[in-house]
Amino acid sequence: MNNHSPQNNTFMKKIGIVLFSLVFVASSFAQAKQGHTNQNKFRQLKQELPTPNAERTASGAPGKNYTQQRVDYIMDIVLDDEKSTITGSETITYHNNSADDLEYLWLQLDQNMRAADSKTPDIQPNKVPSKLSKSRFKNTYTESAFDGGFKIMSVTNADGSKLSHTINQTMMRINLPKPLASGNTFKFKMDWWYNINNHKIEGLRSGYELFEENGNKNYVIAQFYPRMCVYDNVEGWQNEQFWGRSEFALEFGDYTVNITTPDDHMLGATGILKNESEVLTKKEQKRLAIARITFDNPVIIRTQEEAKKIEKGNSKKTKTWKFFAKNVRDYAFATSRKFIWDGMAVDINGKTVMAYSLYSKEANPLYGDHSTRAVAQTLKTYSKYTFDYPYHKAISVDGQMGMEYPQICFNPGRPDADGTYSDKVKYRMIKVTIHEVGHNFFPMIVNSDERQWTWMDEGLNSYMEMLAELEYDKNFPITRGYPKNIVSYMSGNQDKIAPIMTKGDNVYNFGSNAYGKPATALWILRETIMGKDLFDHAFRTYSQRWMFKHPSPADFFRTMEDASGIDLDWFWRGWFYTTDVSDIGIKSVKKYQTNSVDNSVEFIEDTSEGLGFSKKDENSKFYYEITYNKPGGLVMPIIVEFTYKDGTTERKTYPAQIWRYNDAEITKVFSSSKEIKSIKLDPDLETADVDTSNNSFPKDKTDQFDQFKKKIKG
Amino acid sequence: MRLNKTFLFLFLIPLLSFSAHKYYLSLTQVTFKPASKTVQVIINVFMDDIETALNSDYKIDLQLTTKKELKDNDIYFKEYLKEKLHFKIDNIAKNFTYVGKEYDADLVYFYLEIENVNEFKTIEITNNILIKHFPQQQNLTKCKVGEKHKSILLTKKENSTTFKYE
Repeated sequence: MNNHSPQNNTFMKKIGIVLFSLVFVASSFAQAKQGHTNQNKFRQLKQELPTPNAERTASGAPGKNYTQQRVDYIMDIVLDDEKSTITGSETITYHNNSADDLEYLWLQLDQNMRAADSKTPDIQPNKVPSKLSKSRFKNTYTESAFDGGFKIMSVTNADGSKLSHTINQTMMRINLPKPLASGNTFKFKMDWWYNINNHKIEGLRSGYELFEENGNKNYVIAQFYPRMCVYDNVEGWQNEQFWGRSEFALEFGDYTVNITTPDDHMLGATGILKNESEVLTKKEQKRLAIARITFDNPVIIRTQEEAKKIEKGNSKKTKTWKFFAKNVRDYAFATSRKFIWDGMAVDINGKTVMAYSLYSKEANPLYGDHSTRAVAQTLKTYSKYTFDYPYHKAISVDGQMGMEYPQICFNPGRPDADGTYSDKVKYRMIKVTIHEVGHNFFPMIVNSDERQWTWMDEGLNSYMEMLAELEYDKNFPITRGYPKNIVSYMSGNQDKIAPIMTKGDNVYNFGSNAYGKPATALWILRETIMGKDLFDHAFRTYSQRWMFKHPSPADFFRTMEDASGIDLDWFWRGWFYTTDVSDIGIKSVKKYQTNSVDNSVEFIEDTSEGLGFSKKDENSKFYYEITYNKPGGLVMPIIVEFTYKDGTTERKTYPAQIWRYNDAEITKVFSSSKEIKSIKLDPDLETADVDTSNNSFPKDKTDQFDQFKKKIKG
Repeated sequence: MRLNKTFLFLFLIPLLSFSAHKYYLSLTQVTFKPASKTVQVIINVFMDDIETALNSDYKIDLQLTTKKELKDNDIYFKEYLKEKLHFKIDNIAKNFTYVGKEYDADLVYFYLEIENVNEFKTIEITNNILIKHFPQQQNLTKCKVGEKHKSILLTKKENSTTFKYE
């Protein structure tokens, strides 16, 4: 405080006395050696993790008492293209495999997030914008806001009698007539309908895109039916409201689904199509048969010419597509008059899986060139690092968003009107396609709880996505996942950063928190801390242990340690439970040579400036006592590159545990027979070091600006 | 997208499931180099954001890093930065030279230089980069004189700061 004014003086004196007493008290405590709890960065993670039990073991595997509920659905769905509505009739068979008796069941009514009385807009602070589209204005500021909520027409027991239920926003409780005992099943029926949103205007995951040209709509339909909540021994009922961002937690089961559309539509959906001959033309069936044995190039099943002709029509007749999907956690479909369809066979360890794409002419040739190939690449790469893809197909749809469902996902990217597209558009489309198809593995099969932990599917998937991208194109422009990519986020304003272990709805910078940072953390584990073999084995073990099950964060952390024999508690604590940053520097270097005297060896310091020796003893090696400091809170390995006077280099990596006794600075001796010219830390930018200006000794004086100037002068 | 892009970004991005970088941050690093009597400025911004802003402000189509990249686009960047970025050293407005730019993955780096600068006591920096198009934009602005590092997060509300080196 510099601005003392006379009237402030008395006050300041008082403050001074208080401050003085505080300092005095504090220092007398210090003399008393006040104790503390364990703050060591290498302390066990046990306090953060749930106690292992017979359902989830200390090794991170499902235990002998692990159970999981199961839900089978039978649905008849009707799309009214003219009114843009979905009407459904649904029979749910709920299998209570848990050891508990259930007094009630919970269902998710995700569409209610779009209801006129949804509370989602009410928790978004906003300001008056400078400009709004008319449709958005109407939706936000007039009475007639779009109402996309479920209209529940009936909820009945299997015998048709009324079933008591209570709706709480996006959740619905079924008040069971009597508790559902462990091991028993309960069957009930629901009828409902809702208005489909135009996702280009209302936004969000699913809806339709309207084409002004001829009034056609591309429908991408998901979360379209009341879905059972997960019940388990981690959350009880996972019935936290759907606010729009943190996604889903779902049970596995079998789906029998009949979808009625206009009869000139082309449709793709989760599951095996049971009535190909009723819904596809002879020509299409023939081409499909060829696609099923063609492994090198996509085969076009409905051509652009055919689709262009069809989209000019507007059939009032309907047809019904009949699907059966075994052991999936969800269901979605896409349908339009406009869809072109191609497909290619993919060999997954001797089993044939189909990669398909559905796209409108507006998305071609971008989709024709890359979509199905990107799907195929994803299935191959992910199968290699996790488990063989267990389903029969994966579809990418030109849905102009980025959203994933079992066996089907909706992706962005369109070429310019003249059919050309930039590398940026191309790579972004491939990137998102790989990402969304990759979600078939996490969370569609390794079925984590997205409502709680976005990172468990997005983070793991964003890491796997990098491997698939590099296998698709070794020069793939990766913009997220490398340690250097996360520096600007991690070094940002701490008030706006949350630890990865934060509920998805509450994180700032969703993309960096739940996608980028966990992907980087896994990349660092593989490349720098565990090594590829140990990491890949542990990651595969986790994937296989938890495929078709519900893993929690502890199951992941424990498996990665258990299967690799590497204690990573410090890494999970630092990277996942804190917002600490990585920053290691070289504080000082002392240099020595030796002199043998009688029975001992003397170390003699050379006190000259810099790394060079003022005089050299040819009989002695060179000894460098290097003090490393750590302004960053994260403990990380110290990766040092020594450059000798002859220009050759040598690397040394000290494991992170070198920081276990002193978190601020450590001193370590390096000896060599050649004289060192310079020392550099983390030369390949492997550690997400947020400040590299302290990474060199002697200090590297040419900075980024000078290097750029040199570069442009050529 | 035919709609007002800014507004769409504001409302949709937080809800989508895919993967856009979407946080709105740039970094401006200002360094005084007494030996060359210069103040050097390095700015990094997200490529797609700066492209959106310039395309809209100057009715151009930059297509950065593509074969169709607009030629001689430095004139636009130069003009944009001159408009959005202002420096006062010891209360005197200073012009800067646009040295050039380079790309690194999804970032663009700009290099600017103010010449003939003697030791100073205050530097005022006004930073409006991307704020018009992205109201959530935060421009982290750092300044280094000697061993003294200072930094501030500039925003639409608070777009200017004075660093004191007395």
